[in-house]
Amino acid sequence: MVFMQKKNFKLRYWRRSSQILFFILFIFLFLKTDYSGTNELTYAVNILFRIDPFLAASASIATRTFIWLMWPALIFIGLTFFLGRFFCGWICPMGALLDSCHKFIPHGREGRISRLHTLKYYLLGFLLIAAFWGLPAAGYFDPFSILVRGLAVSVYPALNVAATSFFTFTYEEMPAWINMLTEPVYSFLKITILPFRQNYFELAFISLFLLLAVFILEKLERRFFCRNICPVGAFYAVISRFSLLRGKGGSKCGKCKNCMSVCRMGAIDEERNISPVDCNLCLDCVDICPASKISFGYKQNEIIKPSFAVNRRKFIGTLALGTVLPFFLDARTMAKRPDPYLIRPPGALPENEFLGRCIRCGECMKICIGNGLQPTFLAAGLEGMFSPRLNARTGYCEYNCTLCGQVCPTGALSELSMKQKHATKIGNVFFDKNRCLPYAKGIPCIVCEEHCPTPEKAIQFREAQVLNSKGEKVSVKQPFVVDERCVGCGICETKCPLPGQSAVRVTSAGESRNPENALPTLSTMY
Amino acid sequence: MHRRDFLKQVMLWSAGITTAIPSFQIVPELLALEKQPPLVTHAKGKDYYQLVARVLEPLGGISSFVKTGENVVIKPNMAWDRNPAQAANTHPLVVKALVELSLDAGAKKVMVFDRTCNEERRCYVNSGIQEVMATIKDNRLKFIHPDSRKFIPVDIKRGKAVKRLEIYKDALEADTYINVPVAKHHSLSRLTLGLKNSMGVLGGKRGQMHHDLGQKLADLATVVRPKLTVIDATRILLRNGPQGGDTDDVKIMDTVIASTDPVACDAYATTLFDLRPDEISSTVAAYELGLGEMDLERMQIIQA
Repeated sequence: MVFMQKKNFKLRYWRRSSQILFFILFIFLFLKTDYSGTNELTYAVNILFRIDPFLAASASIATRTFIWLMWPALIFIGLTFFLGRFFCGWICPMGALLDSCHKFIPHGREGRISRLHTLKYYLLGFLLIAAFWGLPAAGYFDPFSILVRGLAVSVYPALNVAATSFFTFTYEEMPAWINMLTEPVYSFLKITILPFRQNYFELAFISLFLLLAVFILEKLERRFFCRNICPVGAFYAVISRFSLLRGKGGSKCGKCKNCMSVCRMGAIDEERNISPVDCNLCLDCVDICPASKISFGYKQNEIIKPSFAVNRRKFIGTLALGTVLPFFLDARTMAKRPDPYLIRPPGALPENEFLGRCIRCGECMKICIGNGLQPTFLAAGLEGMFSPRLNARTGYCEYNCTLCGQVCPTGALSELSMKQKHATKIGNVFFDKNRCLPYAKGIPCIVCEEHCPTPEKAIQFREAQVLNSKGEKVSVKQPFVVDERCVGCGICETKCPLPGQSAVRVTSAGESRNPENALPTLSTMY
Repeated sequence: MHRRDFLKQVMLWSAGITTAIPSFQIVPELLALEKQPPLVTHAKGKDYYQLVARVLEPLGGISSFVKTGENVVIKPNMAWDRNPAQAANTHPLVVKALVELSLDAGAKKVMVFDRTCNEERRCYVNSGIQEVMATIKDNRLKFIHPDSRKFIPVDIKRGKAVKRLEIYKDALEADTYINVPVAKHHSLSRLTLGLKNSMGVLGGKRGQMHHDLGQKLADLATVVRPKLTVIDATRILLRNGPQGGDTDDVKIMDTVIASTDPVACDAYATTLFDLRPDEISSTVAAYELGLGEMDLERMQIIQA
């Protein structure tokens, strides 16, 4: 059975349309990853991660359970058995971006099978075995994690900075007739693509560089990342070995090698054999072949025997490395005492399981309406980079919001009901009496108490007579925290009017997910 | 205003004119206050929408505040991510009534906004105000989130505790500014009423207002001048203010209070909590700045 061979009918347009369509869908879902007027999400905004078989495998292996949330990945595994790596060529938003940027990035050689193309298999093997032994690093290499995280914490906020600066300039400096033109544009952009408010993120630059690196590698080779690094691609490649739909090169042809040089995946060799493990079915070769010798069809398994060219000894060595390295993690101080300011979002699983599942996609940070969730740098170790934490000085956890748990594609943050959320303690606050105004200066201030969201406030006062800085005796209300009520949302730390560091700080002490972190009480001995 | 102070002002004023020294400023409202005791109206009833029109009647109805072609700003309290039953925000029906009355009176534009404490969109939605605003199909109504570019620095010339604040441009430029606070408990100022509600038009770091809050609110009231204050006391929050969250802390009062005098309006509302006006520092400070009356004896209080 052979089809897709008509010359006058450009097959690549179909592929391109598919890429554009799925990219638009991807951007649409990215923009919809936001509060929409109700606390319930109306779209499956995290679907891109849930169809990713590599992330599903990694998170499932790390937690030794099948993560049902990621069942859609099974569909794509199944489809790959029929269609090969069609995902990479027709659907992947990262691939679509790379293809669309191809013309603008000065590039090196094309075609030709890369010497590095086996790297991705070693990487895949390493990532999966390391995940099993407790070193979760899938999120550093997964293309969607890199893409969404880069967009969410870096590109998108920067886009808003640019737009706001421009329209503030026109608003303040330009004559009225220009504003008649610019203001409607700004309003339109605000309700369509711009974020509701300016968010700020730690690691904005590192996230951007990781994303840019994927594009810079394009200089070395077309689709360098997809050919040599992408663990999702590697996962699909393994399945594609058995795929039914395959390309077949012509046996008698003019040897123009156009197909070989046009192939973005380097899947075509000197003998015009098309390797199903590398081919992403872009169909450019079909279109370009002057003699129409190339065709794609089913039941062509006998055509070539694809090989991964993976060196068995090296592969076993990689697995051994993935097994040994995790033991070093527990040799660090944080294994004995975790960073006290590492406050995980509400619904976060116990730390090891949390990190095992967390794919560093940045969805929770994108949707956090208080701009409280930030990518962690080194506080959770090298393997915990980009995992979410609450930085309560720049943003807080909104009391009646449960969006982060809804958006998490792997269940690293469990979905909480409002009642559960109100009962979940992510930390506890402490007052620094050397800085807090009513304690340190005798100046009245109640901002923390005013904002404390628990119905019966977790921050209470004691009336006290103190000397102020002039030596006068004044009566002030001094705040203290009632541990049983404090949920650790951090709004007090965000709103504390002191410049610089807040006089009230959240720590992870007392967090619900870790009984070892329990706070002392009057009734229990410590 | 005491007669003696009044005479003193008049003398200074005359002296100022005769010696042509511009630094002597006569405060116009001091003169106005001597003329007539301020009128404070209050009305009680279950129909909150209808209550608003009723409470405005003795004041001459909405038409004495909103004229045809005017820009109107209606400033409710919708600072918190709380629902109407929790009494942290102005009741949606009270806001709706004021908006519709203003539109009917021929306003060119009616703006409704607040700078919130919790996340902006959540507050607008959960307060119930967004929902009722959506039912008003009139494009003269602008129910908006404040635009950060429009907070402009304003010198508070008469300010005693604060000299400069960032204030929302539309609030300053409105032909008619209507302040619609909800009456509720507050741990520092004891109550939050009309003067406190004006903090919703401030930009910048509002937390710093809390040192010497009463005086700073009075200072703010010298530049943010509502033509009309309507206090929503349909249900009041007695404890755990200003955001509450527990309906056990809420008392149903079914009352709305209105006045052109922002200080008198606050002073009267204080009595609903069994407190005296002089226990509220902002009321006292505003009175001392001559912004209005705080002595209940010298007000004309009418039940509408």
